[in-house]
Parts: sequence; structure tokens; C-alpha cells
Amino acid sequence: MSFAVRMRGITKRFGSVTALDRVDLDVEQGIIHAIVGENGAGKTTLMRVLYGALNSDEGSLEVEGKPVKFGTSREAIQAGVGMVSQHYGIIPELTCLQNLILGAEGGPILRNRAAEERANALATKMGFEFDWQADASSLSPAGAQKLEILKLLWREARVMILDEPTAMLSPADAGALFESLDSLARDGATILLVTHRLPEVLEHCRTVTVLRAGKRIDEKAVAGTNGSELAQLIVGGALEASTHTAPFRPGAPVLEVSNLSVKGDRGEMALKGVGFQLRSGEILGIAGVDGSGQRELFESIAGLTKTVEGSIVLEGKSVDALSPSDRIAGGMRLIPEDRHAQGVVEEWSLNENAALGLQRLSPFARGATIDGSARHEMASKIAERFDTKHGGLNLPMSSLSGGNQQRFVAARSLCLDPRLVLAFQPARGLDIKGTLSVYEGIREVCRNGAAALVVSFDLDELLEQCDRVVAMNHGRMHEPPADRSKDRDTIGRLMVGAE
Amino acid sequence: MLNLLVLTILFSTPLVLAAMGGYTSERGGVINIGLEGMMLMAACVGALASARYGPVGELVGGILAATVMSLLHWLMTQVYHIDHVISGMALNAVAAGGTNFLYLKLGDPAHGSGLPHLPITFFCISAIVVPFAIWIYSRHTRGGLRLLAVGSDPDKARLMGIQPVRVRFFGLLCTGVLTGLAGVELVAYTGVFTDNMTSGRGYIALAALILGGWRPVPALIACVAFGFFSALRLQLQGTPLFGAQLPSQLWAALPYLVTIIALAGLIGRNRTPAGLGKP
Repeated sequence: MSFAVRMRGITKRFGSVTALDRVDLDVEQGIIHAIVGENGAGKTTLMRVLYGALNSDEGSLEVEGKPVKFGTSREAIQAGVGMVSQHYGIIPELTCLQNLILGAEGGPILRNRAAEERANALATKMGFEFDWQADASSLSPAGAQKLEILKLLWREARVMILDEPTAMLSPADAGALFESLDSLARDGATILLVTHRLPEVLEHCRTVTVLRAGKRIDEKAVAGTNGSELAQLIVGGALEASTHTAPFRPGAPVLEVSNLSVKGDRGEMALKGVGFQLRSGEILGIAGVDGSGQRELFESIAGLTKTVEGSIVLEGKSVDALSPSDRIAGGMRLIPEDRHAQGVVEEWSLNENAALGLQRLSPFARGATIDGSARHEMASKIAERFDTKHGGLNLPMSSLSGGNQQRFVAARSLCLDPRLVLAFQPARGLDIKGTLSVYEGIREVCRNGAAALVVSFDLDELLEQCDRVVAMNHGRMHEPPADRSKDRDTIGRLMVGAE
Repeated sequence: MLNLLVLTILFSTPLVLAAMGGYTSERGGVINIGLEGMMLMAACVGALASARYGPVGELVGGILAATVMSLLHWLMTQVYHIDHVISGMALNAVAAGGTNFLYLKLGDPAHGSGLPHLPITFFCISAIVVPFAIWIYSRHTRGGLRLLAVGSDPDKARLMGIQPVRVRFFGLLCTGVLTGLAGVELVAYTGVFTDNMTSGRGYIALAALILGGWRPVPALIACVAFGFFSALRLQLQGTPLFGAQLPSQLWAALPYLVTIIALAGLIGRNRTPAGLGKP
């Protein structure tokens, strides 16, 4: 048996925190190997060590049988190791082709035509399609993910690390991704998949390593295990089943949207006459392939995008003319799609981020200034709510892992008596426990009379957590018939426009 | 009319060269308000070298002087992580005082005006060739691609195995050569070095670069527009306009006014390199 990767006794400390504690990892060549664990278990840290982006304090590393030591990612790339990080490494100002070849141009003069031919050959092999001369900023998350995979192929990486690759993808896109990964593995590539979606592990991976709190707990062949055993290994105890069973009793309308049309970034009609009603106590899930108009719907309700026509009524009052901050004062709260760009200011402390967006509301506002002690109190409440792991409320937001930032952002949107929670992928980057607790939090504010609108690309998550699920396709909203309101196939067909 | 055309070309030439120098620096993410100082230093050292070693000496000396200044900027911003604007201001201050001192000490008053120099056409032709060469460079070479990548997002570029510090070194090397050419042109045109003879051309070149959205050919057009208004001013100054005699100060302000209006109103979408000023 030949191992593509062998890591022995890897230890990594950040200050007094031991992120990795003598972790071993063996990955056979030519398979898909999953690394699972909760947020902060050390999955990403371990992979960054393998990619040379972090240097371990102790331990040794072998790639394809040769002992190696990577000081920088450059050396790892040369040894055939490639990584797609959770936040893609795509530079939006460059074209797709430029992004693809950057760092591996193959000579001082760019041969754009030859490069495009090879790029097309790689893309065709994977079943992708790209407009190579288009700006990378026009790529959807799924498109960016595909480009990242092509970047690995371009560099002829033989060991590919993918960190939460399906976090942003629709079920169809995720399925396509795994098909391509399968074919890559058949061709001899070794794929390390960091994930916390257990169905992915069970369906597509050969072996799995479980990490918990920086330690390697176990390694299993997927054929010899099952979902509940893995879940127990991950959390280190039995998981409670979801408690959401009580039928909801909808009250008065909280949000009424009628005939809403909005233009997208490129001036096309991204939202075409969407109308729906959301009532107190209700969680409405919006399913759909990425780019079906969810983003425009979310942003126009939040007041971030101008509408072409239509009206938005919040608790009986039209908000069409109101600014985002007035809408927030009216009880609207956001869990934005991209927490880095829209949710937090990474250089600011947790304290400062606690009041971000809510700074004009009591108890934060004190005249024209901010009440520091009230903010501190609120920050600690926000951090406690979903168990955000942090090293102090005065530390910058950037000191938190992605999942913990997401917990903080979600908890912030639920404080100060929200009336309407707009959530775009509220569980993005969260593990099973985190996902359940965030939805439980949303459920709780809804029990107190609020309503929630949840956009997610994970249909199963929506079906499980929402009271009602509608599908979006090409800017239109489709409601499933009443007798099949939670039928996965029906909604799946509505998502792709086949009624 | 022909006169106006010739003057436009003459006035635009140093601006274009300096703006292209700004391009190779700013597209790599290094803010460069030191263009002015680099030009001035090149003019001074060029004039001194010209008196001793003739026209080629002038060219070489000027370019070397500007390159030293430019690499100093690289050292301060990339190695010692000094704020880019402060470093640029420092270079301008050093050049303003230093050239004055150097020329007093080493200059030969006997020469007067009429230093030996390369034909002005040489500079004009470079000003036409360089923007297109840079355009091709940034689209069709590895170095150009890496320059743009580093200027857009140094962190992501680093993840792809690129070293921003190295890329920026070559960018600033080009800045030195081009601002050197621009400075030498000024001396070649007037035949003499005078105190503060760049008189803000470095800043105008930077403004033209911004106006052109950090793209070489639009920046070239912006420089020519500025040159045109400067030429127009020289042509029309003193002639009554609509029966009224305009004060000469107003004419002198014309090119600058046009620049300000253009900068304020005409820049469409934001094209600022996203990594400008980032380590």
C-alpha cells in the first residue's frame, strides 16, 4: 500500500493554545479521504501545515514516500500539493485565465492562446465551461470553486486539499463536484476533503479521519462505519435529535412583498415580480441554485439595492423609502452571506463588532456616542449565545476561526428583539451542532413573534428547519402545491425550473 | 496651429514618461507620490553629467539618479514598511533641497544654457512607444501578470507562490528608468537646470494616471490632454477672449483646473488597484 501523505506527531501551538496535538494522518494514494471534526477541531490548521502555509512546531511529513519539510506554500506546490481554501484564492480584478495561470505561467512570455487551449482541455475533461477572458469577479461561488479545482490541475497537483468545498454549492453543483473528484481520484490523484457534512463523507469518501479538539480521535474506512457512529466520534457523545416538532401557528403578517422586481449587477432583471407573505412565528426557507435571484431578494428587502418596482411592507408599514438603518430600527436583522465582507470588521474587536449595524439602537446608543459598558455586556451575551470560542472580547475579530465568527454574527442578529431575521446561509461553515443551535436560536425568536427568511443552497437543511420552503429559479419564486409543500423532489424540480 | 501641435507634444512628453513610471509602481501596489522628486533628481544629476560627459552621460546619469531614488522608495515601503505616502513625501523633500544644494556646489555657471543633449525627438518617440510597450507587457508577459496580481491582492498572490517584494522591486526599477527619462527630457528641452524645474509635473502625471484608471493608454491620453491645455494657454495668453482681457494667472491655472474637474467628475467606475498600499 503506498501512502500519498503521511503526517506523524504534528503539533502546532498558537500562543498558549495547542491547535494540534501530536496528530497522525495517513492517506493512501488515489482515494478521497475525509477529515471531519467540529469547528476549531484543527482540520484547517492540519491542512495548512500540509500546504506549507503554517509551520508545525513538531512532527514530520512525508509526501509520496519522500520526507519533506515545507517552509512556504511554494515548496508544497512544487512537491505536488495543492489546496483550495475556504475563502477562495481568486483575484477578482484578473480574468479567469489570468487567475488560472498565475504563479505557474510556464515562461516569461504568456502564450494566451495555448494557455486557453490547455485550460479548455482541462475544463472539458472535468465537464466545466468557462469564459476565460471574463473578469473573475463575475464568477458565482460555484464557478469560483470550479476555477480553483482547475488551478490545482493546471499545477499538476497530485495531492489536493479541499477545505469545505460544498459550503456554497447547490445540491446539483455539489453532486457534479464529487463526480469530478471521483474521476480525479480514479486517475491517481489523492484528495483530502475537509468537511462536516457527513452525507458527503458516507457517499463519496473511502476513508475518514476524525479530529476533536486538536487530537486525532480515529481513522475509519467509510465502508465499516455509519453516520451516527461518526457523529458520536466527532462530538464525543450522543447527539440530541432536533427538537423542532411543534407545529407553527402563524400570526399577523410581518413581511409582505409584492410584485418585486430588481436589477442585478450586470443590469439584467434578476428578480421578476416576486411576491410572498411572511407571518409572525414563521420561518420561510428560500431554496434555489446559487444566482437565482436570492441575493437580490435579500439585498432589496434589507434596503441595500434599489428596486425597479414592487413594494415591501414591514409590519404594516411600507419600507420602500427607508434606508437600511431605518429598517434595522424597525426590527430587521441581517445574517449576511459573506461575513468577511458584510458581517464583521475583522480588525475591530468583538466588542466593537457587537454593535456593528445596531449602533443606533438602545442600549448601544447614548446620544451621539456609544455606551461602552452596555456594548461590552451585549458582546459577552452574543458570544455566549452560540458558544463562540474566543480569547477575549477585546481581541480583534480576525483572531476567531470562521465558524466562530459565523456564530457571533448569527447571535448578534438575534439580540435586541428582532422582528424580522433575514438570514443568508446562516449556518455557513458551521458543524452539525452549530447548525442546529443557530436554527434553534432563530426558532426561538420566531416563537416570540418574529419571522425569519432563510436563504440556503442546502435543500435538506431548509426542509428540516423551516416551516415552509419556496424555490427560486431565474428570478421567479415558485411555491410548491399545498399537499406536497415539503416534498424534496417537487421543490428540487421547481429549483431547476421543471414544474 | 502647427505650433500648438508641437507644443502639445513637447509638454506631454515628460508627463507621459512619468505617468508610465507611476504605472509600474502603483499597479504593483506601491503608492508613489515621489514621482516629482525622482524627476527632479534626474534633471539635476542629468544636467551635471551632461556638462562633463555629454549627452549620453546626461541620459545615464539622470536615469541612475532616479533609479536610486526609486529603489530607496522600495526599500522604505517594502523592507522597512514605512507608509507609502510618507516615504514619497520624504523623497520629494530630499530632491527639492538636495538638487538645489548639488547644483550650487557642483554646477558650472560658465555653461549657462545650452548643455549638450540628445535630440528631443528621442524623448517624444519614447513617450509614444512606452505606453504601448507597457500595455503589451502587462497583458502578455509573466512579469506583467504578476505585477497586476500583486497590486490587486498581495496575500492571495503570495498563496500562489509569488513574492510581492520581488515583483515590486522590478516595478520600481522601471519607475526609476522612466522618471529618469522624464527628468532628463526637461533639462534637454530647456538646456539648463533650474531650481524646482519640474514644478509639479510629477503630481500631474500621477493625476493623469488616476484619471486614466491606472491603464497605460488612457493615462497617455490624459497626459496629452493636459499638455494640450498647457500649450493652449501659451498660445492664447494675452489675447482677448470675447472682448475681455483675462488675467494671465487665470490662463496659468487652466491646465490645473481642467485636471481637477476631470479628476472630480469624469472618473467612471473605481479602478483603483485593490492592493494599493498593502504590505
